[in-house]
Amino acid sequence: MTALESATGSREEDLLVRLDRPRRRRRRTVGGVVLDIVLVVFGILMLSPLVWLLVQSFTVAEFAFADPPRWLPVPFTIENFTQVFEYMPFFQQFGNSLILAVIATGGSLFFSVLAAYAFARIDFRGSRILLVTMLAALMVPAQLVIIPIFIMMRELGLVDTLASLWLPALVNVFQIFFLSQYFKTIPRELDEAARLDGAGHLWILFRMLVPLSGPAIAALSILGFEASWNGYFGPLIFLSSPENMTLPLGLVTLQNGFGAAPAVIVFAAITMVVVPLLVVFLAFQRQIVESVASAGLKG
Amino acid sequence: MRHRRIWKVCSVSSETATPVRRRGAVLQRRRTELAGWMFVSPAFLLFLVFVAGPFVFAIVLAFLKWDMLTPPEFVGTANFAALFSDPVLPRVLLNTFLFAFASIVTHLVFGLLLALAVNRVISRALSYFARVAIFFPFLISWAAVALLWKYVLDPTFGYVAQYLGGLGIHLPNFFTDPAWALPAIIFIDLWHTLGFTFIIMLAGLQTVPSELVEAARTDGATSWQVFWSVTLPLMSPTMFFATIITFIGAFQIFDPIQIITRGGPQDSTMTIIMYLYEKGFQAFDMGYAAAVALVVFVIIMGVTVLQFVGRRKWVYES
Repeated sequence: MTALESATGSREEDLLVRLDRPRRRRRRTVGGVVLDIVLVVFGILMLSPLVWLLVQSFTVAEFAFADPPRWLPVPFTIENFTQVFEYMPFFQQFGNSLILAVIATGGSLFFSVLAAYAFARIDFRGSRILLVTMLAALMVPAQLVIIPIFIMMRELGLVDTLASLWLPALVNVFQIFFLSQYFKTIPRELDEAARLDGAGHLWILFRMLVPLSGPAIAALSILGFEASWNGYFGPLIFLSSPENMTLPLGLVTLQNGFGAAPAVIVFAAITMVVVPLLVVFLAFQRQIVESVASAGLKG
Repeated sequence: MRHRRIWKVCSVSSETATPVRRRGAVLQRRRTELAGWMFVSPAFLLFLVFVAGPFVFAIVLAFLKWDMLTPPEFVGTANFAALFSDPVLPRVLLNTFLFAFASIVTHLVFGLLLALAVNRVISRALSYFARVAIFFPFLISWAAVALLWKYVLDPTFGYVAQYLGGLGIHLPNFFTDPAWALPAIIFIDLWHTLGFTFIIMLAGLQTVPSELVEAARTDGATSWQVFWSVTLPLMSPTMFFATIITFIGAFQIFDPIQIITRGGPQDSTMTIIMYLYEKGFQAFDMGYAAAVALVVFVIIMGVTVLQFVGRRKWVYES
């Protein structure tokens, strides 16, 4: 496998993408200005649905979705937001999403770190075939294994609980592979030195390799959190009662379920999901973008 | 600081280490083997329970008839026979491949053009704005995106139809018109995931050494020649990777379809995962759903193998 071959020679800068490069002084050309304008217009078009979302959710119901469209919330109200709580247990679902994302991300990272250490640092019989088998499983679509997992969760009586979602998420082959690649970029001499000082495997892993792998672990955390937080297929299949739902499923139920909410209230709920995300994104823009790029390129 | 000290110790020690006695070596070997398996086993056990086991079980399931209420019944290849003579299947496969093809073309073209536009020497503010505007939608859950776009493209409430209507252009009702539902989903998907392709392309462009571009320029190459003969060949690994990953993602499109059209109108947006969901989790025909899932698996495996073979053939490696 090419992935395994490339594993040996890779350095840190190959594994984590940096998107900022030193800038030279710019020369203004007509073509350049045109391209700048095209980019601005394209950016505005990309953001327009989100601005429209925000405006409608702050507009009094009777005046929302007006034709011609308005880009300011007149008359202004926050009524739509207070109404959200009458239609869905928003904070409960927010909490469910958070619990799921934290357990799934933290748990899978813990097991991945352990396994990655073995693959990167311990020469044990069968390690190569084990890794190749697990990597081959990356080709298996999630929808294939979810059918038996659904049957399993039903037998265990775990349907309609968050456990049915985070239990299968505890193993993440991509994380194991990515981390073991990253560990290999850290000089092995460090381990040997620590071992001479009397350190065991656990010390070397958790006191040395993990702290030295901050960027990789941060990138995987961001990706894992994003996947759990936004997941829809799993929650749709496993969760049925509103108080157990995660936010994405809660939003869709708000619009489709029995006693569906009026559009402005659905919009207010979407705003309540999107705005915190936007705040987090603007705060950690570089880390998030570079994590996605790194993982994407090595995926 | 601490590592530097460790470093010194080790450079001496590995040279002066004396051969250990045989018995000790065997014990040491055994201990290493054990440690390796101990570190791998938690993840490996989870892998067996939640990946390998279900995978084998799904294959068995494809040979059963089971509604999850009555006991399962062995039916041989009946599920596959029914699937391959299923009148809906050709439509499902056509929709899915059509979606995937359109998705690859639109994502790659727009992603590359935008990355080229942002990778120029541009102001920091514009670069920041473009990256945020193009990438942020990718982080929003499909649930929120699908619900929002259902209104954005609505013929009466949505601003797209309102503006175009003002210009005298009347749009179809995208999600109830069999000719327009799939293109509409393709468009929404482009808005949602273009940011990912864009970032991959941007990262790819930044691996193109600027010295090569400068050298070509000095030799009198036009911008177009530089793009065609320098940038594009060096970008081919990125383009190839983006094609594969877009295909695998697009082939499994589900969320917006389940939320907006549920496969309709008249199966015009029925993609293979939506079909699998209907058979397995609406009709509770678990064996049939497993057979559909195996078809998805075979196609994705085929593409992945193609990736390994094709990378050597089509990609320019320096």
